[in-house]
Amino acid sequence: MTLLKREDWYDLTRATNWTPKYVSEDELFPEEMSGARGIPMEKWETYDEPYKVTYPEYVSTQREKDAGAYSVKAALERSRFLDNADPGWISTMQAHYGAIALAEYAASTAEARMCRFSKAPGNRNMATFGMLDEVRHGQAQLYFPHSYTRRNRQWDWAHKALHTNEWGAIAARHFFDDMMMTRDAIGVSIMLTFAFETGFTNMQFLGLAADAAEVGDHTFASLISSIQTDESRHAQQGGPALKILIENGKKKDAQQMVDVAFWRAWKLFSVLTGPIMDYYTPLEGRKLSFKEFMLEWIVAQFERQILDLGLDRPWYWDEFMRALDETHHGMHLGVWYWRPTVWWNPSAGVTPEERDWLEEKYPGWNDTWGQCWDVIIDNLKNGKPELTGPETLPVVCNMSNIPIVGTPGNGWNVKDYQLEHEGRLYHFGSEPDRWCFQVDPERYKGHLNFIDRFLAGHVQPPDLMGGLKYMGLAPGEMGDDAHNYEWMSKYAKAAS
Amino acid sequence: MFSRLKQWFSGTENSKREGKGSAMATQNDDRLKNNKVGPVLRSGDMADAAVDAAEIDNPGKEISVEDMRAYLRISTDGELILKRETMEECLGRPFEMKELEVDLSSFAGQIDINTDRARFYLNTAL
Repeated sequence: MTLLKREDWYDLTRATNWTPKYVSEDELFPEEMSGARGIPMEKWETYDEPYKVTYPEYVSTQREKDAGAYSVKAALERSRFLDNADPGWISTMQAHYGAIALAEYAASTAEARMCRFSKAPGNRNMATFGMLDEVRHGQAQLYFPHSYTRRNRQWDWAHKALHTNEWGAIAARHFFDDMMMTRDAIGVSIMLTFAFETGFTNMQFLGLAADAAEVGDHTFASLISSIQTDESRHAQQGGPALKILIENGKKKDAQQMVDVAFWRAWKLFSVLTGPIMDYYTPLEGRKLSFKEFMLEWIVAQFERQILDLGLDRPWYWDEFMRALDETHHGMHLGVWYWRPTVWWNPSAGVTPEERDWLEEKYPGWNDTWGQCWDVIIDNLKNGKPELTGPETLPVVCNMSNIPIVGTPGNGWNVKDYQLEHEGRLYHFGSEPDRWCFQVDPERYKGHLNFIDRFLAGHVQPPDLMGGLKYMGLAPGEMGDDAHNYEWMSKYAKAAS
Repeated sequence: MFSRLKQWFSGTENSKREGKGSAMATQNDDRLKNNKVGPVLRSGDMADAAVDAAEIDNPGKEISVEDMRAYLRISTDGELILKRETMEECLGRPFEMKELEVDLSSFAGQIDINTDRARFYLNTAL
């Protein structure tokens, strides 16, 4: 039997737009859900998705992907990798699953919005598969860590984290809610699938897979790189939407959506992916530095694609380039210092050998962040561990919901970017963070970050223990140094 | 409790933040100026076959392969084609173009894929 080639029939069968008789077009596709932005239906019908899949193809391909990822897990279960894994790598996985798993599940709702409300038939078709993809990602990334929950309660945070008011969970939720849960269908296609999935997910799902393979965690490498094959398909929904927006005089809107999503994704990754790549992953497993992965995936690949699609570099490009050498070091220092407030055990990652690596990858590290770590090391050496823990609260950005950081030591440039809006004083970690607020203050003005909540009296008693309780962190869950300070022996020896 | 907060509030409102990174920022920016296109495949038989197929299907072009252990980045300038028939030859088994998705974790440039070939390309050259 001869079958028609997909391209000979696909366009006809997926163009399911018909003229509604019982309701108006506006009732069928309400603007607040569809986001057509005044562009007429016939223009949206020209949407041409570059990566076409049919339902039978989807089912057989996905079956093969799952068979692969789950069989690797089953085959390696007996290798007892986790029993011998470096504690820093365990923390990497715990941070990953907690921040990601439920967000993936939520993303299926965002895909469902395009699936139902996009005026572009091709977008609706691809989003049907995207919706199923995200269910797969949520389930797999809950199933894998679930088998580790007997080891300790921190693994349970794969499911728990985004249900809590832990500060990192607030930051992740605020970002994902903004990008995907509270945008119209076209907004989702640009901000979630284009700006976030075409770009940043490669960092966490391929860059980190490279590190995982290096440290010997082939189960994790196989799972996350397999997940990314779904992303590389359904992330292609944003490109054709961008094209239609640009052709119909909406380039400014499109550029703004990309610029907001790009900056916000960068900030979230500076606290999640930066520390795990440059500090938690054991030295011998670091395939590239965080910055080198950013240059590969975000600058050379993603930003190049943005230019090819007819958009411009974000206005804050120079600041982004500069921050690649800075932000995540500050985030790491903060996460380690406030370690009881996270659901994993941060690895300090500052043995003499690791500092040499940091200095090589980030010239000047010892003269800046190194100076802060010198104080921490001295305090630990002198038997004053209480001085290496949180005594006060950081200033937290009202856009990224993560601490405001800059370069310490001899490169000091820490700065709070403030904005007074309707009588409330907001704090931002950078000019682009403040700009994200300024372009849409109605969207963001009511939100309280962790510090705002503390000052508003939501956290009782108003001290560290009250804060941990508010964040849902019980003993056995709250973080401490990943290696139980054993790395300090290298400094004790050096001193003796 | 908040005495230390004061130290965070330094710097004047309108000054541009600078740091030692300013010089390095220019080097970082150089990475943007490229015209590389091509697939990023999970390591395995399909990735190995794609390396061979890329050589055959793109005659006269220099194909670069970066082996990152978990994945292979296969690239060339401007346009890269992978044909179904060539993949079949290189794998030594029947192959449908849709199977590429099983290992296609990412790609540089834009994609255009049908039943006979996958094409990675850029519209503009820098």
